[in-house]
Amino acid sequence: MNTIRLYLHSMRMLIRSQLQYPFSFFLQTLAQLVMEGGEMLAVVLLVDRFDHLNQWGAGDLYFFFGLMSVTFYLTECFGRGITGNFPYLVRTGQLDTFLLRPRGVLTQAMCSAADPRRITCIAVGIVALVIGSRLSAIQWTFAKTLLMAEAILCGCILILGLFMIEAIFSIYSVKSIELVNALTYGGRSACEYPIDTFPRPLRVLFTVLAPFALTLHVPGAVILGKPLFGWPAWAAWVSPLSGIIFFFLIRLCFRKAMRHYRSTGS
Amino acid sequence: MRAYLSAFRMRRRLEFQYRGAVLGGVVCQVFFGLILIAIYRALYAGKPQAMPLSQITSYVWLQQAFFRMLLASDPELMDKIRTGSIAYDLCRPLNLYGFYYVRIMAQKMTGSLLRAVPMLLFAFLLPEGWGLMLPASAAGLIWSLAGLLLGLLCVSALENITMGFTMRTLDSRGMQALLNLLMMILAGNILPLTLFPDSWQRVITLLPYAQLLDAPIRLYTGQTAASEAPRIILIQAAWILVLAGIGLLFWRVNQKRLEIQGG
Repeated sequence: MNTIRLYLHSMRMLIRSQLQYPFSFFLQTLAQLVMEGGEMLAVVLLVDRFDHLNQWGAGDLYFFFGLMSVTFYLTECFGRGITGNFPYLVRTGQLDTFLLRPRGVLTQAMCSAADPRRITCIAVGIVALVIGSRLSAIQWTFAKTLLMAEAILCGCILILGLFMIEAIFSIYSVKSIELVNALTYGGRSACEYPIDTFPRPLRVLFTVLAPFALTLHVPGAVILGKPLFGWPAWAAWVSPLSGIIFFFLIRLCFRKAMRHYRSTGS
Repeated sequence: MRAYLSAFRMRRRLEFQYRGAVLGGVVCQVFFGLILIAIYRALYAGKPQAMPLSQITSYVWLQQAFFRMLLASDPELMDKIRTGSIAYDLCRPLNLYGFYYVRIMAQKMTGSLLRAVPMLLFAFLLPEGWGLMLPASAAGLIWSLAGLLLGLLCVSALENITMGFTMRTLDSRGMQALLNLLMMILAGNILPLTLFPDSWQRVITLLPYAQLLDAPIRLYTGQTAASEAPRIILIQAAWILVLAGIGLLFWRVNQKRLEIQGG
């Protein structure tokens, strides 16, 4: 419990420190809005031209887009220490100070940075979710709300795990390798659309290797009342857990990598 | 003129040094291209359009290949202004705008060619419906190459206007990000301009952003007939003159009120 309090305290301080430069913060937040707005515009224009994608109508596509936006940018907002800063910590040797303190390295990395500019991206995602659920006439029940919360939470944990792959690589090679991020950002761009859009190799990649489909699309499809793969409804409660399993597998690798860690010195 | 040429050459050589970093970027870009094409293929399967799918896939590959032409900027200028070493540049017997114009042009050209050649080779090898098709006609190819060159001149002029904002405020990241995003959307990188609603296209294709890559790509795929090419080239040339004129004035005003920082 103490760890969570520590984390929340750090978040509050980090966000307050960024708000000290209100104009710069405002412009950068606005830029984020234009970015995510542009992505949303692409979906809107595609829907306008093509009406539907396989069995998914306009509302369903907005819903999937919103689900991905909210999940991805929540992670970037609150997990910035892992999603962005970790290679920098290694390169500058700042990670050394983490090793001296009586808390885990991951906990401290999580507490080391926040990115509140993403709030506008999350807002765009929420708008997409609301429009999507209206257009698709989703009958919201308590169970469905809970299922969506589970999907978003597990999705966040999955994305954290994906970013940790880059963290692991940065320990072995001080030069940052942008290639590693292809899976993460590629996964975001691809899985804004339901998984059955893609040919088999990509489908396997985003279901088995980086299980975006299991954490987000399977529950999303059940909420929309069009279950994927013909799976029963209870499967949607189980499949997001794959995100957590993925995270713990990566965490094992991370432990191993940390044992290999040599400071960059001075 | 020779001074500008050698500034161009030096910058080109510098950009060429980073060949190793290019490979990772190319693999990423190819992966994104494949994802985008998979989405458009699925959409086409549901509701075929008048424009053939192969034109869309070619469009996506050409956009991905020349991505670096849109998003390459000179980080040195910002540092120079912050540290005050811009004073050295002011001592040169060159026009400051012209000097930075050829530098950014060399950077954009070399950076995008280094990436485009391997990517386009790969895209040619993909089967029809996934890959890059051959140009519509020999004339189309020649016109599109001319259009691409003009697009390069145009994007360099645009970049210099963005840099003009950098000279005004010491931290222009927000402004830069906004202008770059506008460019990515209106140049057809996020969604091919050919998939925008037809009524929008009539306006968007006249904007300067559409002159960078969209106009040459349409000449390549044959969406714009070769007979119409002179009109396109004329629009591009007009925009280059307008944008370079605005940039030149903007820089001259900035230069007058430029404060040399540091000491």
